[in-house]
Amino acid sequence: MDQLKNFKNGLIKDNPVFSLFLGICSTLAITTSINNAIGMGVSVIIVLTMSNVIISMIRKITPDEIRIPVYIVIIATLVTIIQMLIQAFAPALNESLGVFIPLIVVNCIILGRAESFASKNGIVASAIDGIGMGLGYTLAVLSMSLIREVLSTGGILITNPFNTAQVLLNVTLFPEDFTISLFGSPVGAFITFACLASALGAYKMHLEAKEKAKEK
Amino acid sequence: MSELVTLLVTSVLINNVILNQFLGMCPFMGVSKKKSSALGMGVAVVFVIVVAALVTYALYYLVLVPIGLEFMELITFILVIASLVQLTEMFIKKYSPSLYKSLGVYLPLITTNCVVLNVCLVNITNAYDFSHMLVYSVGTPLGFALVLYIFSTIRERLELSNVPAAFKGNGIALICAAIMSMAFSGLAGIV
Amino acid sequence: MKYLLAALFFGALVLVYIVLYLLNKKTPLPEGCEDLKADCEGCHDFSCSHNPAHHIKKAEGE
Repeated sequence: MDQLKNFKNGLIKDNPVFSLFLGICSTLAITTSINNAIGMGVSVIIVLTMSNVIISMIRKITPDEIRIPVYIVIIATLVTIIQMLIQAFAPALNESLGVFIPLIVVNCIILGRAESFASKNGIVASAIDGIGMGLGYTLAVLSMSLIREVLSTGGILITNPFNTAQVLLNVTLFPEDFTISLFGSPVGAFITFACLASALGAYKMHLEAKEKAKEK
Repeated sequence: MSELVTLLVTSVLINNVILNQFLGMCPFMGVSKKKSSALGMGVAVVFVIVVAALVTYALYYLVLVPIGLEFMELITFILVIASLVQLTEMFIKKYSPSLYKSLGVYLPLITTNCVVLNVCLVNITNAYDFSHMLVYSVGTPLGFALVLYIFSTIRERLELSNVPAAFKGNGIALICAAIMSMAFSGLAGIV
Repeated sequence: MKYLLAALFFGALVLVYIVLYLLNKKTPLPEGCEDLKADCEGCHDFSCSHNPAHHIKKAEGE
């Protein structure tokens, strides 16, 4: 099924963060803890899916030349709404994500998918693509923050975003004396991202080599 | 006065927009393969950010706050930045063809650039007064241009070196960025 | 009343953008700048007009 293949592609092979290198700014900045990663991932999925659906609905009536500012305005409206919701219901998340919630507007993933997919395909296909790409982003951000949080604090701490006093998961994997605080800083972010992106690149090269061998 | 100098040094070197705040990564990865394009992009960004910061600051405090429309902040800023980029491109095309040759092509790239929107938003969130806003809005893009230029010089040499296949291109570039970030974080002792 | 002003303000901004965009399109490129291309092959951001994918399409279209 074509749509299922699109969905699977968005998760690993064409992962928007590690394969297409879109949305790097927010990935590097918020992956210091898994809480942030989950919060940001969910916001991006919501904004991406809704913007894909809306743009797909109006794709036949937008003149070709002003479509980019139209898309940007739609995405900005959605992000303003999400930002207000997060400020109201999860203020701790608002504090930790900071300026990166409004910066979802200029996140390359959303505008890129709107331009390359939603403007040319039907509503259901665009919605599925949005969810797929959003899940791929969330997967990428979760994997990065898992590595960074475990290595820099020695454990995993997940709290309920709507009620920060409630701890959902608190696991200590190794004592604090052995933590590498480097991974909490920007340096660690760059290194982790480079290694994960190159690992995915190596995996893709391996897949391509297997396909070429099959063709022969 | 010394507060302004500290703010300038902080925004250029210590809280560098690319290496510490992770903004502007798209042009950082995309335009940094040659020195000349990095320089063109850097100058264009400085110009657009300074003008955009001034205009959005004025619009926020002279129009949005008196009427009580602070929630329109994000949409207003984006539209203003997009319009300014169009205006700048038009001016440069008409009055300075040589300038257009060197940096005109990079102007549309700046519309969706994280750095511009971030500078405009931070000016409001941190409640800067006029002089602080000016210093911050000049320092941040200067830091961006500086790091972009240095990075392009490194990348030009990386093209000719022997890199493992999986790391070629963006992978090794990011590792370089990590080392640069380490180097710049050592400057934190200045202030 | 406030929301009416907000809608009017928004409309004014959009109008300003459209006017500037049309004026920009009308001004011709200075000579010698006809075929400039930003050397960008970094990100796969398809919405960016400098993405090489757009150039391939143009070549095939001609």
